[in-house]
Amino acid sequence: MLEVKNLHVAVDGREILKGLDLELPKGQVHAIMGPNGSGKSTLAYVLAGKEGYEVTAGSIHWNGKDLLAMDPSERAASGVFLAFQYPMEIPGVATMTFLRTATNAVRKARGETELSTPDFLRLLKQKAAELKIDPEMLRRPLNVGFSGGEKKRNEILQMALLDPSLCILDETDSGLDIDAVRIVAEGVNALRSKERAMLVITHYQRLLNYIVPDRVHVLSDGRIARSGGPELALELEETGYAEFGEAAA
Amino acid sequence: MELPVKQFQTRAEQAYLDLYAAAEQALPGAGNPWVSDLRARAIDAYAALGLPHRRIEAWKYTDLRSKLTEALPLARATGVAVSNEDLEKALGGAVAKLDAYRLVMVEGELRADLSDLAGLKAAGVEIVSLTEALQHAPDWLEANLGRINTQDRDPVLALNLALMSGGVALRAGKGVTLDRPVHLVNLDAGAEAASVVTRNVVLLEEGASLTLLESYGGIGSNEIQRNAVTEVKIGREASLTHIKFQREHDKVFHLGTWLVKIGDDARYQAFQFSTGALLSRNQVYACFAGEGSSLDVSGALLMRDHQHCDTTLLIEHRVPRCESRELFKAVLDGEARGVFQGKIIVSPGAQKTDGKQMAQALLLSETAEFDSKPELEIFADDVVCGHGATSGQIDEDLLFYLEARGIPEVQARALLVQAFVGEALERIEHEELRDALGRASADWLGVTFD
Repeated sequence: MLEVKNLHVAVDGREILKGLDLELPKGQVHAIMGPNGSGKSTLAYVLAGKEGYEVTAGSIHWNGKDLLAMDPSERAASGVFLAFQYPMEIPGVATMTFLRTATNAVRKARGETELSTPDFLRLLKQKAAELKIDPEMLRRPLNVGFSGGEKKRNEILQMALLDPSLCILDETDSGLDIDAVRIVAEGVNALRSKERAMLVITHYQRLLNYIVPDRVHVLSDGRIARSGGPELALELEETGYAEFGEAAA
Repeated sequence: MELPVKQFQTRAEQAYLDLYAAAEQALPGAGNPWVSDLRARAIDAYAALGLPHRRIEAWKYTDLRSKLTEALPLARATGVAVSNEDLEKALGGAVAKLDAYRLVMVEGELRADLSDLAGLKAAGVEIVSLTEALQHAPDWLEANLGRINTQDRDPVLALNLALMSGGVALRAGKGVTLDRPVHLVNLDAGAEAASVVTRNVVLLEEGASLTLLESYGGIGSNEIQRNAVTEVKIGREASLTHIKFQREHDKVFHLGTWLVKIGDDARYQAFQFSTGALLSRNQVYACFAGEGSSLDVSGALLMRDHQHCDTTLLIEHRVPRCESRELFKAVLDGEARGVFQGKIIVSPGAQKTDGKQMAQALLLSETAEFDSKPELEIFADDVVCGHGATSGQIDEDLLFYLEARGIPEVQARALLVQAFVGEALERIEHEELRDALGRASADWLGVTFD
């Protein structure tokens, strides 16, 4: 269970989250929707532990553990995974090396045995095939020269390898055409399980046609303004975020 | 009235002259007029120039005159036993174990007992130690020694020519191609504080192809003043991959110079990797003497504490249609200082020249310093030339990305440094060599990557 209580977060002295409360039980998928500037990405970053996001009040617990007391790598080891809106390009780091380093770092931190190279490659090959990732892509430097769709598929591949219990998807559909959205969503759906919680952050309802959430929350001006079932997303598609302080598109 | 300006001579400057005067009769080739003549002219040139100092533009950031306070006695061949373990200690496992024709020089002396001379000869390469060559020079050597892309204004080169007492001369004849690299180990076995002055000559005749690794390391801890020169002449359609690996200890002054002349339709791929020495100056003087050729002179240096590492390049396009590329990466921690000076000269008539140069530094501390000075002198009008320099710190967004994937901060930082260096290492086509240098930079970082 993810429990966020009265979360206040400031960036460069400006308050972005202003008392956010959220409960996400294991096994469920919740969507966070909201207008631009409402604090969606801030929530994603603060959950993952990015520097520069100052928590001025409130708490975040994952399965009873205080996330705010952990650095980003410890959060990853305890099951938190953020799929980035804009995955970083790192020339000079082979994608394969990165994936193996990350997988084994997390396994080690969890007290599991590290995977040997052949075992890792077997696992990688299987997961990559499921996401229709060309093995040639894995030999390139991390995310360098990847298309938007390849980058997002690579994020989901990392998610599959690191076996997280809390997945946060930050605008995973942005910049993708409909086929790419479908492939990514299938990858995400394959990872849905009763042991895993997912927080899907999105501006548009489109992604939620493919990843159907249990609950939808509307974030507005740093707080959850409204919560409801999947039908709330459809309603927002009709009305836009006008009632939440943004002019309809 | 004009007053004659004569600079005051420092103790070390005079000491080198004394060193020469005392050793002259005992230096290899002393009885040969052509050798004595080379040496005498060189010491005169040195006497006129003195040690280089900061008011000489090419030495602006590396004031050798103030840093060299004495001249150490010339190294003596000792014949000391050297084991494989010693080589691994000096060079690290990956480089020491490289599958290569190994030539080992200890304090400049080519050691037949440690070298695969027979294998190299069987593969078609002529090889002779410098000491032997100065006494009984083959024709090809006498015609080239001290004559390849000479630089009249460089006192370090003049001193080298005057005092050279070790090194090897190699010749790959027409069409000779080797299956493995030649690994020239320069080992400081550390018996006593010494000046080690070596000069190598490498000739590639038409169509020959060679990979040459020069490595520098030691098992001793005494002060060393190293002055190492390699002269390289690459013939028509020949190709040389030339790698330098330097991880000497922190009492070493390392002055290294490559003098390179490239013929028609030839290829020169050079890479310099340095983590060692208290002070190092790596000079590459390369000129295109034949059309349609290409060179790549790249490198990586990783320095910390009070280390100082200077890379100074002079690339001369004397003829049309040649391509030059340089990419240098400096990783600087503590109070280390990196210097990059890269000069490209395009002569009148050297049309269709394509030259690009880039120097980048990654500063890991507030007190590290990087000085970069690119210079382009272009006297032709139909050319493409460019240069760039950057200096920055570890990108916090990239760091967060790695940490968010469970990679602890220390390891994530190391991975990013490795990536930064890796971009330069990618220039090395020989896979085993590239991996060996990658492992050497991981060693420097104190991490292992599988």
